[in-house]
Amino acid sequence: MEEAVRHGALPLDARLATADDVELVAACAAGRPEAFRELLARYRRSAVTLAYQMLGNAEDAEDVAQEAFVRIFQAIPRFRGQAAFPTWLYRIVTNLCLGSRRRRRVTVGLDAVREPRAADSPSRSVPEGLLARQVMAAMPADRRAILLLREQEGLSYREIAEALGLPLGTVRSRLSKARTAFRRLWTKLSESEEEQR
Amino acid sequence: MTCRLYQKDLSSYLDGELPAARAARLEAHLRTCPHCREELDELSGIARHIRAASTHLEVSCDFDQRVLRSVGYWRVKGRQTRQRTLTKPLTIIAAILLGLLGLVRHFFAEPPVPEPQPAAVVAPAPPTGALPPPAPARSDRGRR
Repeated sequence: MEEAVRHGALPLDARLATADDVELVAACAAGRPEAFRELLARYRRSAVTLAYQMLGNAEDAEDVAQEAFVRIFQAIPRFRGQAAFPTWLYRIVTNLCLGSRRRRRVTVGLDAVREPRAADSPSRSVPEGLLARQVMAAMPADRRAILLLREQEGLSYREIAEALGLPLGTVRSRLSKARTAFRRLWTKLSESEEEQR
Repeated sequence: MTCRLYQKDLSSYLDGELPAARAARLEAHLRTCPHCREELDELSGIARHIRAASTHLEVSCDFDQRVLRSVGYWRVKGRQTRQRTLTKPLTIIAAILLGLLGLVRHFFAEPPVPEPQPAAVVAPAPPTGALPPPAPARSDRGRR
């Protein structure tokens, strides 16, 4: 509620607040744009966070998330529920991030990884979180995407396959490689941190 | 060599996404291989590290407004509201007009003209208990 006030949201229809994603998408497709506002309120933070983890820059992350929501609004009348709403949203965010990185050849340097402005940080061990962000920043974007979709967003392999447009077997092997790469980088960076102390 | 084959499956096993037969083979191997068990433990720690990195950002206050402006939300919403504001009074006016029309018909319309009764074909039956018509009087006086 507080967040809704902060975002200047007008009071939403109480029925929309209790509707599930499928109902909201259907309502939006049927010409009730206030259903889109409810979806926006539900998923804005996940979309921005995912984009931030991919791009390493809060402003770019918001731009990407904004673009993703615009595309969704335009495509909703044609959406037939092939995937769950968040899977659809994460697919667009991920593809926009990968495209944005390719266009601008962004490489997030380890020094550029800072603590983001946190809204809430339950159980955030700062050194662990910072080191993890450095490891993620050093990983190739496609591996980072698959790790985030699994570990941060909790998507199943099938949902990841839908989101990234990959066969299930490729998701399995790519995730395995991404985890191995993460572990190696983690060990390497932890050791260099130790040496610096 | 054997371990390397199993290690490919550790990630999917951890997520519960490994087919049952392969999972059973891997579990049999894990019971006898401390190295792979250690590998599995380390992989399971990655989820925790990534979640620790996943600090949710504080999204800008005007984020929603920017999105809604970009999609023309207020235009769509305004059109919908205009339609509603136009439709409602029109419905009320139509209802009032229909009501008035009904009243006018009720009070001012000419009373219905009764249809003419068809002419009686059969003579009406005499009332019960009436005397029969008198017979014509005979004048015998003149003959005598």
